[in-house]
Amino acid sequence: MTKFKIGLEIHVQLTEAGTKLFCDCKSNYRGMRPNTNVCPVCLGLPGALPVPKRRPLVLAMAAALVMDCEVPDSLVFTRKHYFYPDLPKNYQITQYQGGGGAPVCLRGRLRYYVPDADEWREVRIRRINVEEDPGRTEYDGTIYSSEYAYVDYNRSGVPLIEVVTEPEVRGPRDARRLVEYLLLTLYYIGATDPRLEGSFRVDANISVAGGERVEVKNIGSTLDLERALSYEAFRQGKLTSQGGEVRRETRGWDPVRKVTKPLRGKETEEEYLYFPDPDIPPVPTKPLIREALPLTLLTPDKQMAKVEGYGVSRRTAWSLVTVRPALTLFLSSALEGAEPQIAARVLAIDLKGLLRKLGKDIHSQSSWPPPYTIKVISEMVKEGVYTYDEVKYNILPRLAEDPNVNINVIMPRRASNIEETVSAVLSREKKAVADFLSGKEKALDYLVGAVLKVRRGEAVDPKSVRELILKVLASTTGDPSNRLKRS
Amino acid sequence: MAAWGQGKRRKGESALARGLARQAVETLRLISEGSLTPTEHVSEVLEVVRDHEPQVRAYITLRSPERLEAEAKEVERRLRQGERLRLAGLLVAVKDNISTSFMPTTAGSRILSDYVPPYNATVVERVIREGGIVIGKTNMDEFAMGSTTELSAYWPTRNPWDLTRVPGGSSGGSAAALAYGGADLALGSDTGGSVRLPAAYTATVGLKPTYGLVSRYGLIPYANSLEQISPMARSVEDLALLLDVISGHDARDATSLSVKPDGIYPPSEPDLRRLRVCLLREMLEGSEEPIRDAIERTLDRLSSQGVEVDYDASIPSLSEALPIYYTIALAEAASNLARYDGKLYPFIVGGPTYTETASGTRAQGFGWEVKRRIVLGVMALSEGYRDEYYLAAARGRRIIRDEILKLTSRCFIAGSVSPVLPPRLGERITDPLKLYALDIYTVVANLAGVPSLALPVGFHEGLPIGMQVMGPPLSEPQLLSLGLLIEEVTGLRGLVAP
Repeated sequence: MTKFKIGLEIHVQLTEAGTKLFCDCKSNYRGMRPNTNVCPVCLGLPGALPVPKRRPLVLAMAAALVMDCEVPDSLVFTRKHYFYPDLPKNYQITQYQGGGGAPVCLRGRLRYYVPDADEWREVRIRRINVEEDPGRTEYDGTIYSSEYAYVDYNRSGVPLIEVVTEPEVRGPRDARRLVEYLLLTLYYIGATDPRLEGSFRVDANISVAGGERVEVKNIGSTLDLERALSYEAFRQGKLTSQGGEVRRETRGWDPVRKVTKPLRGKETEEEYLYFPDPDIPPVPTKPLIREALPLTLLTPDKQMAKVEGYGVSRRTAWSLVTVRPALTLFLSSALEGAEPQIAARVLAIDLKGLLRKLGKDIHSQSSWPPPYTIKVISEMVKEGVYTYDEVKYNILPRLAEDPNVNINVIMPRRASNIEETVSAVLSREKKAVADFLSGKEKALDYLVGAVLKVRRGEAVDPKSVRELILKVLASTTGDPSNRLKRS
Repeated sequence: MAAWGQGKRRKGESALARGLARQAVETLRLISEGSLTPTEHVSEVLEVVRDHEPQVRAYITLRSPERLEAEAKEVERRLRQGERLRLAGLLVAVKDNISTSFMPTTAGSRILSDYVPPYNATVVERVIREGGIVIGKTNMDEFAMGSTTELSAYWPTRNPWDLTRVPGGSSGGSAAALAYGGADLALGSDTGGSVRLPAAYTATVGLKPTYGLVSRYGLIPYANSLEQISPMARSVEDLALLLDVISGHDARDATSLSVKPDGIYPPSEPDLRRLRVCLLREMLEGSEEPIRDAIERTLDRLSSQGVEVDYDASIPSLSEALPIYYTIALAEAASNLARYDGKLYPFIVGGPTYTETASGTRAQGFGWEVKRRIVLGVMALSEGYRDEYYLAAARGRRIIRDEILKLTSRCFIAGSVSPVLPPRLGERITDPLKLYALDIYTVVANLAGVPSLALPVGFHEGLPIGMQVMGPPLSEPQLLSLGLLIEEVTGLRGLVAP
């Protein structure tokens, strides 16, 4: 297999910060009419001044701490210049390590879980910087056919963090898992909601041995990231194996045709005229760290450890952690005394699967039943009142439809011992017993039906009744073994 | 030779006769007594404006008489309701790079023609809150890049003391308006001397405050780390009043200081026994003889009042101040001016693509001097030059600041404002290096972030001569006291050009 190097630049909006990075406009602009989430500051009007807002910086600091970064004594914001219609000032306020700047993180590391291999891996983080998002440009049809460009500045100034990894990601799938884990982390510390449209973008650098680095820009989903990198690895590998040369260039990912396309050559470094923004004095980090520390206790790895502490397997724990309401439900039902193994299996696998099949939003708390329901289910299964299969096929589908259905109604505690009914029926239905013992298989069905009839209205599993009848007959007749075995 | 009484005599001839050499604080007293109404005051000032403005051309935009009268009526209503207004009915001229939501704000540039900001600068809000009335927006060198007001995209402003001469710049419009009596108070901005130089050329008073004492929110930026919105007036007392109103913390400016010194207004009598003044050799030596004479004579008089004067202080590193200043200022300017590309502001030279629109708009919207400074600023910041220019200048700036802080901790620094008397129109503009050299004494206070007060100390053949005094950060109250004393010994206060 071809050797290649992958490095990622992951831009994540701090959608949950509340405000933009330097003004009081909203960090989540979705659903707003164009150019209504703006003010003189985020429009970059002359004389309006950026004032760093606390919450976005605390969230960025939490990210830096989670990734074991070197954090400077003060953050220094830097201006990065390029002319673009959606960039109101024609410079972006960002962070840069050169020229007197100081980003929130240098030299960190991210541990991430790879469920495919059931193992933790690690990638070194080169840098994290906090910056403002530009606005958005839209066109009638395509950029080429449109007469006008429409610029919407609602997004302008939304806080972003850019996480830059060292070029040491193992492969396309690994890149995807890394980003998924990073997003989950930022979600758990309350920085971002990765399910919001456009809340993150990835630029991926990939090179094969002997070739130049190719950057694939603006990848909008983790699945597309894996596909784009696989495509590039294949394309570049083929090119070099045929004696071709991979040039340094920037490409874009076309998620519809599933190919990368050249955007522009990148023979020279761009000239960004970096210098520290004189409108923003250095921001001391000590108070930010103090405020960010509690958030670092909420990360996915710590949640997994909590679940694994109940004896649940790592893969199942991961499956719970990826769906936050399921995790919350697991932890609270476990606190209420639910049997953890059973609760985890219900939540992480079967109920989750059913909800997905029904097209329900598994990330919404309201799709899930209350902890009490999970506690009842797990107790019933543990005590043997119901088998797990009964729960899976009879109870969970109804819960998936209506999570608030009364569990005591759909899953009643069985009134008395089923064995009593079985022996009562067997002693009453002497003819059917004799028929069965003489070889008439159908008589057994009749006997099962007779038991169910007696227990009508209760949740009784026909299979277990059948087994019970055979067991009783075996013990009373002494030697129906060959027949029993046959059944 | 400089003559002491000349200014006084001249003002007696015309404007004073009409009662307009009044200090702002005097007008305020008349209004509060009820012997003058704000409406009457508006019309007396408008009469002076009608007489002088056609020759001087200090204002880019004047408010209509109807609007001014309505504003005056509103002040009268507020006064009747018992509001205490610190600037009740005073007419304030505002430099056209300070944002006003009710008038265009062009920064003297064609590229911002017809731009009306959707918000007011913090200082404008504070002036209006105290009953001040903005009379108009004053002319300036384009984006404050200049020292003569000749580089306005609109027209040059003339010096009311001699119409063949420049009023200084870049706040030349504000200074000229004050000098002919066309406003009670004025706001300028000072990036490298832009209120002090015009003050010196027009026999008015200008103070560049401690960096961060006055909010920059709403000031169209030229060089953010150097500039301050600055009060201008015809006397130290008036200036202190305006400074007191506009200064103080503003949450919308991250560089705004959280502290403000007590005792800005009214300025107190100086404590002579504790006053020490150092005449800085590097800030006097290159000046024309009449200027040196006037300054030395003023210091002699201070000395005879009991002020301790050191006539031979020196900071050798000041010779580097000008290149350091221009490197930093132009780097910041190139960045600040990037936004004017035809997408958000009314002046557009449309092209088929964004790039063509941006370059067309900038080609026709900016003047030559602005373009020159952008190009130099881009070079100072570009890869390969940044270390040699921008970062080296930033280091040099720290050295100068430390030297100035050291000296001002010991004494107030006195020096010349301009090496020359007000130049004639066109005399300097052709040679940029000569033009830049006008700022040689003033940039020091901006590099160091310390306050500097410029005020008249004499006349030479009818042309005003100014002096500046610099103190440590937040020493405005003491600096203003010293200013009062200087006014006392020179007798130059409340001057109005003939």
